[in-house]
Amino acid sequence: MSAQESSTSRKKSATAPLIQVFEPHKAKTPPLIPYFTEFWNRRSFALELARFADKAEYLESKLGKAWLILNPLFLSLVYFLLVTVLRGGANSKTGLSTLAHILIGIFMFYFAQNIISDGAQSITAGGRLILNQAFPRALLPFSSSVRAFGQFWPTIPTYFAVVLIGKIFYPKTHIPLADWNYLWAPLIIAALALTAFGLSLIFAVMNVYFRDTSKLLTYTTRIWLYGSPVLWKPEMLHGWHRIFIYLNPLGPALAATYHVWIDGVSPSVAELVGMAAWIILSLSMGTYFFTSRERDFAVRV
Amino acid sequence: MILTPADGDHGVIRLGTKPPSTTMIPVKGYKQDFLLPDDLAIRIEDLSITYKINVDTKKTLKNAVMRASKGEKVRMRQVEAVKKVSLDIPHGSVVGIVGANGAGKSTIMRAIAGIMPPTTGRIMVNGKISTLLALGVGFNPSLSGRDNIILGGLAAGLTRDEIDSKTDEIAAFADLPDGFIDMPVRTYSSGMYGRVAFAVSVSMTPDILLLDEALSAGDAAFKEKSFLRMRELVKEARTILIVSHALATISDLCDTAIWMHKGRILAYGEPAKIVEEYLKFLEVGTLPSNLEDM
Repeated sequence: MSAQESSTSRKKSATAPLIQVFEPHKAKTPPLIPYFTEFWNRRSFALELARFADKAEYLESKLGKAWLILNPLFLSLVYFLLVTVLRGGANSKTGLSTLAHILIGIFMFYFAQNIISDGAQSITAGGRLILNQAFPRALLPFSSSVRAFGQFWPTIPTYFAVVLIGKIFYPKTHIPLADWNYLWAPLIIAALALTAFGLSLIFAVMNVYFRDTSKLLTYTTRIWLYGSPVLWKPEMLHGWHRIFIYLNPLGPALAATYHVWIDGVSPSVAELVGMAAWIILSLSMGTYFFTSRERDFAVRV
Repeated sequence: MILTPADGDHGVIRLGTKPPSTTMIPVKGYKQDFLLPDDLAIRIEDLSITYKINVDTKKTLKNAVMRASKGEKVRMRQVEAVKKVSLDIPHGSVVGIVGANGAGKSTIMRAIAGIMPPTTGRIMVNGKISTLLALGVGFNPSLSGRDNIILGGLAAGLTRDEIDSKTDEIAAFADLPDGFIDMPVRTYSSGMYGRVAFAVSVSMTPDILLLDEALSAGDAAFKEKSFLRMRELVKEARTILIVSHALATISDLCDTAIWMHKGRILAYGEPAKIVEEYLKFLEVGTLPSNLEDM
């Protein structure tokens, strides 16, 4: 068997016949231009899938979509208690800035975690779709990412509300509320999302071959959280130890988050380079790994 | 009815009675260029589909570690689902595929739809495909019938605008009791669920429609309605492939039938004759005389 290209479809003009050719392939990617053209054409499927999954999840809940805010808010409060009150480190000078750091850190980290963990399960959970419809399979992890973003964005006004209320009680705490450096925020959020999406593609394939991946991810992401600058400040690592921030795919973006949201300064060049490097690495590896394996999914799910 | 040779090497089977067209459509952009006769909806060339399944009874980590320590490999069984099938299906054909469980019917349908990759050979499809290989694909039981029409339509390849313009028509075709279309589909009976799923699939205007056991949806009245809708599609000269154990459907609706057995095409031809022979096989368990050694 020759490892030839997989399938493509093309439409030369509105009246030309649509001819699809399906051929054998081994671990080789399909032609990427037709693949991503089809991906783009079917994007509304992924968007609606995300919207309806959200709708279905909160249909029976009394609080409904309020959980999108309550869940990360409660988590942040729990971590705040662990980090400050139980450790005995809370005081009126640093309490609010620590809370703000944990809030935005947890919001950002859980955004990335949701992309990765939901994306990892998207192929095995979409078994019936995989077995019965032909579409670029990357739409399923993409849909999980869209859904994660839908769950993430309401936490941003929540953050500002908490900081605003906190500033009433602790007006001397230095946390920027209106600052030009917030213009970096969309870039950081995009970097985090793209890196996490690339990783979700890798984990989605791993989960097809090794179903325990998604279960192991639950614990891995917990350790990942502790190893990321979310519950601790990036400046707590000195000298060569700072390399640990850059070895962590989410590290540069989370460190930049701290600097922009809490310190009110722009991200460092190293953080920007780190973010760019992880985007390129995770997206290129994820896309290759996923697309080269995706036609195997129908016999594996 | 034409029986294929016992060695399974049947050459290219062309369905229908019309002579092949000499007008060719060039298909370029692949490692080699192809020519596809313009009268063909589907050309299958020497298609084989093989996949491996893990036959380990205990797929535990402990077993995996024990096996690795002994240097043993994972026990895999190779399934030859489709073996060297070559088939030309002209536009407008209504082809019924019969065969026992494990004959390769569903696998070949999935390969034509581009879901399952060929192991060897090639499939060329000329036209937009719609599949109804299982009922309710993409459906979410917590959502209403109306929401699921949108989801099912998008999964099937319709655009949001197309679905929006057809939702009422699809809901009307499903003909659910009053108010049910806006209730969660988990409250539906299996028949009602099947109606909505079938309605979504036939609402498309595909060039090629692949149906796997889908005509069994709903009660007798809905079956009749489905049958009439299928007739309409046939009249519109759509190419339709039907896999069904409902042999009367194959006889009534199809103009050609294929009998698949253990991944090969055993016989093809007039549906009534194929069904008759297949029924004999089901009753007495013997294959047509010259193929018993397959």
